Amino acid sequence: MATDPDIVISMPALSYPKARAKENGKHIQNDIHNEDNDNEQDNNRDNNNNNNTNDNSIDDINNSNDDFNNSNNDNSIDDDDESTTPSSPPRRRLSYLDPSTPSRHLRTPSSYSHNYSLLDIYDSPSSERSSMAPLATGGLIDTSIMKGLDDLEFKELSNDTTIFARHTIDSFPELDISDQESESYVQPTDQDTIDRILASPYDRYGFKKTSTHHNISLEDYNKWFSEYAQDAIRRKKKWNLLMKSNGLQLDSAQAIPTRFPPKSDKVKKMIRQGIPAEWRGSAWFFYAGGYDKLNKHVGVYSKIVRDTKDIQNKDTEVIERDLNRTFPDNIYFNSHIGTDANTSVTTLGTENSRSSETAMVKTLRRVLVAFAHYQPQIGYCQSLNFLAGLLLLFMEEERAFWMLVILTERIIPKVHSANLEGVHTDQGVLMLCVKEYIPQLWAILGKNFEGESLSEDKILTRLPPVTLVTSSWFMSVFVGNLPIETTLRVWDILWYEGSKTIFRISLTICKMCLEDPEFQNSRSSKGSGEMDQIELFQFMQNYPKTILEPNVLIDNCFKKIGGYGFGSLSQDEINKCREFVSKQRAKLNYKKSNITAEMTEEERQALISSSDSTFGAEDQSIHDVYGFHRSIMSGVVWNKSISNKMKRRFVRRTSSRS
Amino acid sequence: MSGRKKTLLKVIILGDSGVGKTSLMQQFVNNKFSHQYKATIGADFLTKEISIDGNKQVTLQIWDTAGQERFQSLGVAFYRGADCCVLCYDVTNEKSLNNLTSWKDEFLVQSNVSNPQDFPFIIIGNKIDVDEAKKIPSLQKKLQNITNNQLGGLNYPVFETSAKDGINVEAAFEVIAKMALQQEELNDANGNDVSDDYNDAINIHLESESSGCAC
Repeated sequence: MATDPDIVISMPALSYPKARAKENGKHIQNDIHNEDNDNEQDNNRDNNNNNNTNDNSIDDINNSNDDFNNSNNDNSIDDDDESTTPSSPPRRRLSYLDPSTPSRHLRTPSSYSHNYSLLDIYDSPSSERSSMAPLATGGLIDTSIMKGLDDLEFKELSNDTTIFARHTIDSFPELDISDQESESYVQPTDQDTIDRILASPYDRYGFKKTSTHHNISLEDYNKWFSEYAQDAIRRKKKWNLLMKSNGLQLDSAQAIPTRFPPKSDKVKKMIRQGIPAEWRGSAWFFYAGGYDKLNKHVGVYSKIVRDTKDIQNKDTEVIERDLNRTFPDNIYFNSHIGTDANTSVTTLGTENSRSSETAMVKTLRRVLVAFAHYQPQIGYCQSLNFLAGLLLLFMEEERAFWMLVILTERIIPKVHSANLEGVHTDQGVLMLCVKEYIPQLWAILGKNFEGESLSEDKILTRLPPVTLVTSSWFMSVFVGNLPIETTLRVWDILWYEGSKTIFRISLTICKMCLEDPEFQNSRSSKGSGEMDQIELFQFMQNYPKTILEPNVLIDNCFKKIGGYGFGSLSQDEINKCREFVSKQRAKLNYKKSNITAEMTEEERQALISSSDSTFGAEDQSIHDVYGFHRSIMSGVVWNKSISNKMKRRFVRRTSSRS
Repeated sequence: MSGRKKTLLKVIILGDSGVGKTSLMQQFVNNKFSHQYKATIGADFLTKEISIDGNKQVTLQIWDTAGQERFQSLGVAFYRGADCCVLCYDVTNEKSLNNLTSWKDEFLVQSNVSNPQDFPFIIIGNKIDVDEAKKIPSLQKKLQNITNNQLGGLNYPVFETSAKDGINVEAAFEVIAKMALQQEELNDANGNDVSDDYNDAINIHLESESSGCAC
């Protein structure tokens, strides 16, 4: 650790962000209170859940690091909450300030390589690699692109991983690699970039600053961006310090790290404040367990791409139609943007439009087609185009592909499946959360389209109309729902903290809607009824598009004081609730499956009563679940201890029956 | 029910993905066309006030939907209480034409309207602005096959439109509004409150479950 004077000076800012924020008199998100009850234990649990899908080496590494941190910090669960943890944080700070202080927290290269010993497992079988070698040498590889990719992605990798990553790229020979963009789409934030962006009609990601999808004017955008960008520069410095204190030295100021500090409260806090834009792809990939996925599936992506090159089916048909409708307001996706005569867009999916499509669109096609092939139970689902599209702005295609797999396997499972079952489940969970945590809002939205209140036992069978709005938040993970920078911040947190992030952010948006003066005014001036529900729908749909400043959303979400403190909604709660809702739905779907259009009302009733009798004892257990849910949900604060108590009781009861 | 201040007519636009549902709605409501519409996820709606026959003021609430088949499972909530359903196809995409029947069936299942036999549907063939060569070969004949098929055919008014150039869009929605108003009046006259829970089989099931099986 070099004792650069700069670093010494900025150290206190790292430790005492509040003071810095006050100094600047600006809205900086530095002092997000970490009020996760769940905390790192929760992260561990999260990781354990992830392990279900056999992708655990990175998670294991993170787990071990977490354990490492935890043991180091003893009882300090929350490094923000100084009152409860008086001793530990200073110790930690000391380790930043004084590299000579012995501290296990300090990431030295040796401890670091030790952590990654798991990766060594993958290094051993050289036979597989050599068998692929002829393929690699036989192919035509654009060396400039190789070089570009090396510079971009793999500079910081330890040797073993570099070989793997390289190997994967090497096995791309049949791919039309000339389509691949070698340079990063996202430039680092410096004064030059800022000036250029301020002068351009496009933002740093290539999106039009003003669009038909939101009401943000060019002036609004530039005013916000000029401030936010300065903040980003400051944040980058902090990230550099964090990297340094973890033994992750960067070769140059422009280098993109490929390794990031292990999970800890400190890192979590930094992530919530935002990852530097140009590091995002790399950081997302790292924390989501991308390396593990990639290393376990060496060459798989390029093989799928080869296999699906000329494939045509139901999925590819829909993909073709969506390619040009993915980010039509982004210069990397729409080459006609800004020109008036973009006629070829009307002939979607024809050979004509292919000739004018951007490299990005070609890449998007490969990723989506490959994904549909790899996950046949999902195939192609609209909204995956937005997810893949956004990933591709931040990382190369193979990584984007595996991130899409990680998202749909672990984070929001079944949300994109053929029957969208996960959407229904998660909307049920979200509505139960709204009912529990924002009862004032539930009083308004817990109604059917005609404005009649939904009785408690109908929440899951008849989701309120507003779930049509919120489903899109889950399916697109806020892409297109929130302004881009705000979306990216949510994604920063999502890849690090997991699916609870989507629920926490959704609840935050809901509560922000509720507290918006415009919303309040429209409520007070009207009665209730059908129009009311419609207006609520419209408001909830449009409101998030106006949250230009990510810090507003994030502060509201996580701050205990001055925010809503939704950081206390734990992954455990979400998981339990998901399980509950999906069980309920499974029962209901079974019965629903026997109903057809031709039936009269009497026939339906007959069918239902007959299925009732065939279910018998099993139906009783639905009752129990319902009772379980009710006693938790009605009025009682749904905290973890009650959940656990109820869960135990439920388990006991069901096991005693069987 | 006639005492209601505004007559609100709910119109649902259905059809395969990419046929131009969003464009049709935008062209009718905002008189604009853009090449930059994103694929619709979930559902969206716009409202427009129009007068029918020069005197009757109505508010059209037009629902735009995601075209991919699997999204139909999300549609239940807003199909309910619809006054008219617009079935869209793309004149350059034969499959989208062939799928109209299943869109209709799906709508009837989900919405469970009281009069499936004479519920107002309308068919819109969009993108007539494209080159003749790209259109479905012998389109009219195929269209006739679909609309005049006596067994469960789609014997409904057909409009060929261009959302891009604004051709026939206004005319189509005028007819849609009239049909929707008729349906709304019919429902009112029957005292048939479509908002009722009668059509939700699952609800009935739950109620019977919570009250019935004490044995």
